[in-house]
Amino acid sequence: MSPSKTVVRESMEKSLFGKSTKSKLVERLVFALFRLGTYFVLLCAATIFVDIVYKGGKTVFRSEFPFLNVEFLSDSPQTLHVFEYQGRKYEMSDSNFRSFRQGIDEPIVTETYAYSGGGIWPCIAGTLLLVAGAMIIAMTLGVLSAIFLSEYSRPGKILNAVRLSILNLAGVPSIVFGIFGMGMFVLAFGWNVSLIAGWFTLALMVLPIIISASEESMRAIPQGMRDASFALGATQWTTIRTNVLPYAMPGILTSSIIGVARVAGETAPIMFTAAYALRDQLPWEGLERWYDLFFQGVMALPYHIYVVSAKIPQNEYTSRMQYGTAFVFLFIVAAIALSSILLRIRMRKKYRW
Amino acid sequence: MDKRSSKTRYQLASNRKSFLGLTKESALKGLFGGNAFVSIVVLGLITLFLFKEGAGFFGQYRDSLLLYRQSGLEYVELMRGQQNALSALTRYLNSIRSRQIEKLAEEGYDFQESRAIMEESEDFFYDFEDLAVPLREHVIEANEILSAARDSYQEMQNLSEHRESLLKSGRQDEADALEIREIDFALFFDIVKSRESEYIKINENLIRGIEGILPSTPDFGDAELQAKTERFKELAEMFIEEVSKFEENVLAWERSRPVPISEAFTSFIFGKKWVTNSSIQDWYGLIPLMSGSLLVAMVAMFFAVPLGVGAAIYVNQVARSLERDLIKPYIEFISAIPSVVIGFFGIAVFGTLIREVSGWESLAWIDFFPISERLNAFTAGGLLALMAIPTIFTLAEDALNNVPLSYKEASMAMGSTRLQTIVRIIVPTALSGIISAVLLGFGRVIGETMVVLLCAGNRIEIPRFAEGIGVVFEPVHTMTGIIAQELGEVVHGSMHYRALFMVGLVLFLISLLINYFAQKIVMKFQISRG
Repeated sequence: MSPSKTVVRESMEKSLFGKSTKSKLVERLVFALFRLGTYFVLLCAATIFVDIVYKGGKTVFRSEFPFLNVEFLSDSPQTLHVFEYQGRKYEMSDSNFRSFRQGIDEPIVTETYAYSGGGIWPCIAGTLLLVAGAMIIAMTLGVLSAIFLSEYSRPGKILNAVRLSILNLAGVPSIVFGIFGMGMFVLAFGWNVSLIAGWFTLALMVLPIIISASEESMRAIPQGMRDASFALGATQWTTIRTNVLPYAMPGILTSSIIGVARVAGETAPIMFTAAYALRDQLPWEGLERWYDLFFQGVMALPYHIYVVSAKIPQNEYTSRMQYGTAFVFLFIVAAIALSSILLRIRMRKKYRW
Repeated sequence: MDKRSSKTRYQLASNRKSFLGLTKESALKGLFGGNAFVSIVVLGLITLFLFKEGAGFFGQYRDSLLLYRQSGLEYVELMRGQQNALSALTRYLNSIRSRQIEKLAEEGYDFQESRAIMEESEDFFYDFEDLAVPLREHVIEANEILSAARDSYQEMQNLSEHRESLLKSGRQDEADALEIREIDFALFFDIVKSRESEYIKINENLIRGIEGILPSTPDFGDAELQAKTERFKELAEMFIEEVSKFEENVLAWERSRPVPISEAFTSFIFGKKWVTNSSIQDWYGLIPLMSGSLLVAMVAMFFAVPLGVGAAIYVNQVARSLERDLIKPYIEFISAIPSVVIGFFGIAVFGTLIREVSGWESLAWIDFFPISERLNAFTAGGLLALMAIPTIFTLAEDALNNVPLSYKEASMAMGSTRLQTIVRIIVPTALSGIISAVLLGFGRVIGETMVVLLCAGNRIEIPRFAEGIGVVFEPVHTMTGIIAQELGEVVHGSMHYRALFMVGLVLFLISLLINYFAQKIVMKFQISRG
């Protein structure tokens, strides 16, 4: 807002409402306070974004071609060796250091920092796998259940109770799902710490959200649209396919993207069900049978952040790793969330009744 | 599924293809219904499973408490309570000593000189420390006898379990070869009990000793130290009074008093200690964790409620439309920041920042500043506030949005200002929605794990609420944090494992309760819009 506009507006207000009274002054004061509070919140969030983007960007981006830190994005976490050789200072990840040392006879004294070298590719891959599997399970169960609850089930006390309990489950803390997944899938089913245990735990965590949001968007469609279809002799399924689902799609999509962001962002449910602190192989390497893929633990970005920021001694080298990981993670989750917000705004404009 | 009901009354649908007697329509309905059924059953299963895994806890805990009592270790613990009180007294005395050393150094005495000065009062300190020795030795001896009994009892338990499994697999000879003795706790306990007269004598000597020594407290000739010694005298006299109470408890203690299941229950819900892997007795008390969770949540709500509701009012009522279109998605976007990233920010930046700010000279007048711990309830609470604000904002804004425009118009038409309209008309009308928004925000804060695990300091102790507002800068542990921290290392089916499930169950019930009330409030106070 330009200052001249404010002046015009204020003068207009003066001419319209006459002289300023005490209550007007109070009003302006209180509104200023509200504005201050609101912008304070925005500022706080911005501080976090800026801090992580600025410090993480140093790890992820490079000033020369290809502008990205390829090693960081494609390697696995390793010990960092810091040493001086022939007057130059080197920082090398473990594997690089080994090959470097082979050509040299004299012993090299190094300082080592756990988790500070290499990259985070296994974590990215693990997170993507976890999200994909969990969302397939959750979407299948969730959307189909929502269709039943909204279109087929008869309204009544039971339906209300079911709805209420699903809504309540949506607010249950994620750690409770974590402890459930640990007890049920990891121990009782004997799946151990594995991808599949993580999938089911995460899927169950978002299931209530997806069911209630999808059902909500289907119920928001006016009954008249269904009646019109029935009046033309269409069956129930045809009605759902042509007159309900297309209009409910924006809502279903948004809810599922929110689900993706939640699944990708949560740490507590996978801590005991799917995540390893460190694993040498990528998930698809070294499999004896194809289904071994499901029964192995993976590294995951959120758990990696937890490990490097709480479980190992802190120094400047680990700090780089932490910020780099946090930046990549924030970027992935934020991209998902942003696309859901944009999609919703777009879709809202498209469908109106 | 009733196949017939899916056909219409006039057989219009009879020409449809059917497979195994199912038309496409009913098959689809079955598919959807089946999915819904599975979802609901699975979600219900979570509740059942939590109950099932947690339920065994009270039985195990009761057995453990029973063993604790029958082995007589509880008796020793009573005496140890007295010993601890005495050590606290000694510690206080030592703090006077070290303060004296500091003072001497400040006044510029060198080592030899200050030693000479301290030697004057040395006897008093040594004498007092000597007073504690007999009691300590008595407790240690009693503890040794009884723990030995308890340990061999547990060994025998393991052996008999081993024998059971041998018998099951038909290895009779090996099973018979195991030598299993019955451990009679009474026998061991009687040894300790028979020395009760010694204990009484020790106490008599202790009281006489302290009373004898108190008048000869050294005079340091310094106001601060003098005040401290006066305080010490008071504490010592209080201790003397307490001795009889300790003694009474010890004498009244009975080994045969039963442990009802309700005691296991109350010592979980109202227990003040959470101690695991202890050599004497494990305690699973919820209060330290619960109070930690509540303290963090209170800090978070203190910031989140005014800011969240204020922002909702601002965006909905005051802001121009461009501002609104930018702020709303932005705040929703905040809710997508993963909690572990916020927790990491707390460790890396926010905690250090708070400690630095607390060290500012201009803030020195606040009596609990500067703070010692970087990670404390305030750090975690401040960050959680940022996570609760989007929840509160979104829901409260919805509630404000639902207030019919005519209300606002009517109020404005009466000549009230915008602020008056907001305060008197719009907020009261939307109040139920705002309250439920606040409740749901609270639920989010109580259930959040990573931020508290990383930033709350993880010290298992009840925060000292008596110290006033400074309590928020103490490190705490929370219900969610304890699960995340300890679940990784427990044995499946052990008491500890079940205790963590019980904590999870409590969290589950709290969140259900919050959700339930949030919905109730919305329904009950819903405005009728004529």
